[in-house]
Amino acid sequence: MILLAKVGLGIVGAVAVTGAYTFREGVMRVDVDEYRANGSHVHVWLPAAAIPMAMQLMPRRDMQKAFREGREFMPVARAVAHELGRFPDSVLVEVKDGDEHVTISTHHGAIRIDVSQPDEQVHVVCPLATIEDVTQELAEEHRGI
Amino acid sequence: MSLLLNRTSLQSFKTPPLLLAAALLLAPLAGYAQSTPSGDRWLHVRVVSTDSKGETVCVNVPLELAEKVLPAINKNQLHGGKITIDKLDEEGVDLRAVLEAVRGSKDGEFVTVNGKDGEDVRVAKQGGFLLVHVTDASGHVAHHHHANKDSQEKDQDDKKSADRDHPSKAAVTANVSHVEVKIPMSVVDALLSGKKDELDLVAGLRMLSVQGDTELVSVKDEENTVRVWIDSKNTNGAVDGPGGGTR
Repeated sequence: MILLAKVGLGIVGAVAVTGAYTFREGVMRVDVDEYRANGSHVHVWLPAAAIPMAMQLMPRRDMQKAFREGREFMPVARAVAHELGRFPDSVLVEVKDGDEHVTISTHHGAIRIDVSQPDEQVHVVCPLATIEDVTQELAEEHRGI
Repeated sequence: MSLLLNRTSLQSFKTPPLLLAAALLLAPLAGYAQSTPSGDRWLHVRVVSTDSKGETVCVNVPLELAEKVLPAINKNQLHGGKITIDKLDEEGVDLRAVLEAVRGSKDGEFVTVNGKDGEDVRVAKQGGFLLVHVTDASGHVAHHHHANKDSQEKDQDDKKSADRDHPSKAAVTANVSHVEVKIPMSVVDALLSGKKDELDLVAGLRMLSVQGDTELVSVKDEENTVRVWIDSKNTNGAVDGPGGGTR
């Protein structure tokens, strides 16, 4: 009985730690809503902590290809992600054109892209730390070739 | 006794994971508390189109961010936060020589061009600033420069004056484009602090970040209004900008 309780508490503890770690790293979110006939509605919520882990499972060839394709932008993306985290939440880019509205902003340690059109809404949220981790991971993979 | 022992061992078993969970949850809050820098300088760009839709583009960038990110860009003439200017030499303009000449001279107007087609160019050094003023008019247009008025007032003055004195000229006035550039001389110095064939953009940005609220570039034509300015706000509001007036 005691053993069972210990196992149970172990599981609860592990879940609590995993949950806390997930929330600490944040959540990557992609929401796409098309307001028209047969329009698609896509809502993806992914724990940001899972992304660098998933990259470990990616085929090495694909990782190297990804690095080659984004090689020029990788250091810039990493530097931007690293530095943006130090500033207060802000709207970095805002475009308004009639009914269309696009904003790129930072919010609670994440970069947020919001696109609003009469027939479509797109919202993407990605923690800055995840961008940093991913670019770091790709750079290390490239160095390890 | 055995019950007491069991309870104690149970408590010691569940405490570390919960403490770890609490620490992980609170860690980002501690991070945010430290990462709110005060006195940051922001570079703002605002483009407003005068078309029926009224397209507006606003960009707000912390100068410190630009300082840190520029060295990471290595493409074409931009390397390590410095831009090589040999291309400009090829086109017959030695930008560095021009800037050096302006830097070493006293306040005054250096270049004044009054073109036949209504294109006026004025380059001056005044009160620690390098001023470039270009007016491009396809028709016959009077040009006024009011040092103590903001750009919108100037435009309104121009328009009212044209409407009152020469009603038929108002349509022509709409084709005028004004470009005003105002760069602190200390920024020019910082830009020139690198090698002979390069401009040190990072040094220029660093120097720009210690300046007061300043409007750097203002462009007005029949299609767009463009403003570039620096201040300590992280928003690009309608009444933002040096002087606080709506522009």
